[in-house]
Amino acid sequence: MHLLDIRNLTIELNTGDHVIRAVDKVNLSLKEGEVHALVGESGSGKSLIAKALMGVLNERWQVTADRIHWQGVDLMRLPPEKRRKLIGKEIAMIYQEPSSCLDPTAKIFEQIAESIPEQGLSGYFWQRKKQRKQRATALLHKVGIKRHTKVLDSYPHELSEGVCQKVMIAMAIARSPKLLIADEPTTALESTTRAQIFRLLKSLNQLKSMSILMISHELAELNDWTHGLHVLYCGQMVEAGPSKKVFGSPKHPYTQALIKSSPEHNVALEHKSELYALKGTIPTLQHLPIGCRLGPRCPQAQKDCVATPQANDFHGHTVACHFPLSQK
Amino acid sequence: MQPILKVQALNKQYKTRDGLFRSRFFSALENVSFCLNKGETLAVIGETGSGKSTLGRILAGAEASDRGQILLQGQIIEDDGKRIVHSKELRLIFQDPMKSLNPSLTIEKILSEILELNTQLNEQQRRDKINETLLTVGLLAEHRNYYAHMFSGGQIQRVALARAIILDPLVLILDEALSSLDPSVRAQTVNLLLSLQRKIGLSYVLITNHLSLVRHMSDSLLILDQGKAIEYGKTSELFSCAQSKQGQRLLSC
Repeated sequence: MHLLDIRNLTIELNTGDHVIRAVDKVNLSLKEGEVHALVGESGSGKSLIAKALMGVLNERWQVTADRIHWQGVDLMRLPPEKRRKLIGKEIAMIYQEPSSCLDPTAKIFEQIAESIPEQGLSGYFWQRKKQRKQRATALLHKVGIKRHTKVLDSYPHELSEGVCQKVMIAMAIARSPKLLIADEPTTALESTTRAQIFRLLKSLNQLKSMSILMISHELAELNDWTHGLHVLYCGQMVEAGPSKKVFGSPKHPYTQALIKSSPEHNVALEHKSELYALKGTIPTLQHLPIGCRLGPRCPQAQKDCVATPQANDFHGHTVACHFPLSQK
Repeated sequence: MQPILKVQALNKQYKTRDGLFRSRFFSALENVSFCLNKGETLAVIGETGSGKSTLGRILAGAEASDRGQILLQGQIIEDDGKRIVHSKELRLIFQDPMKSLNPSLTIEKILSEILELNTQLNEQQRRDKINETLLTVGLLAEHRNYYAHMFSGGQIQRVALARAIILDPLVLILDEALSSLDPSVRAQTVNLLLSLQRKIGLSYVLITNHLSLVRHMSDSLLILDQGKAIEYGKTSELFSCAQSKQGQRLLSC
């Protein structure tokens, strides 16, 4: 059974004079123990999907979906209170900028202690503080922080970005959630810390069979350890499927452009030669083109592209394009 | 051939408080030396706190060094922390273009301010220069009446680049200017930078963490670790055989 199953998720913003459709009919499904990645550039709505799932969008945003099933329970039909409890217990999220998402006025210990569930503690209330401290220390060890006393006793601004990110992960796994949503966990970090965070997430996935939904704009660093890849462009899902298939033989021009534009994957690329880049820039949400939103920038665009393409399924590899690229 | 930029034994220390009256010195740069030829790119990599941003700020003149010389085309421009020439030839591009441009001024105002302060051009010449620069970076002359928020992510990066090259510099310092961009915008910017390098022979000091970009764009590579230069050499050679353990660790992931 699917752990998470989303059909036709649409997120709209009502600006007063007209409605902006920021996310347009996105499908997403995730099995237990799998790592999936949502890839897209800024403004493609990948963070919005995660926030809609967590239920933290404010009421200006309208979220509609045919279904959002979490282990067979439809989250859309649950009363808000119950939904909040369920999500709080089973889904955790790591936010984008760790040093600004942690509370600057509280020490790390207080912040971690807040996320440790009450149910796991035993004894009278005066015995619990010690238990919390032990738990917090154990959590920090789990994410690879060795100097736990120093870290627990400091404020977020005293720690480096990488350590802050690890603290965020420690807080997220305190309730041992079934699904961890990581919203660009490594954008602010340098390469060695980035590798550490990825190793940590990988081991969490393998040892605890925790499902992970990675949100990122770097396609290149995800392909070798994710099971599924979903590529978004301007709120439309352009391509989805198993990572190997999407990466090895992209069928959508946008995915192909993403892969070709990164120097990592063109070993034969001559030093200082021109990189492959799509013309133009990402349109703003107020001025989205009709039909296929890649249309004006697409090298293969034809007359039919003014109609919104339907998703075609090629053995679990879905592509939303009128003229999918053929295999080499 | 004479190198365009030469840095000799640059040192920088920061004072940090230690107790009530004592102070301790923290060494951000120690004896860093390198040279950069015309039309070449030097990449600087290192972990956080290794002093690579400090190096960029000192080169651009935003901070003064403690000891050491910076030579531009054989002339000393900074000697033991004294800036002798306020150089127009070394320009810095900041990390986030959206935040580094004044939102209440048009692009023309932003660009002409630089010309007013640094050159003797009259109004008509300034206007021509702005048009010419905007065309060089792939924008249109009409864009000078726009405000910063009216541009998209890729265009705003071009404006930041226009601001840097309007004084016809010899060296551009890119302090993490490429890492926060989206992949397609980054590919466009890299193409633009490389074509400018081919056309007008700009040299770049590329401060970044993005290894594949380093491999693609740079000719020589400097690895910093806690303020010390631990490796310096040709990029292709260093990638294949780095000497120190630190360097190998940084380059392998």
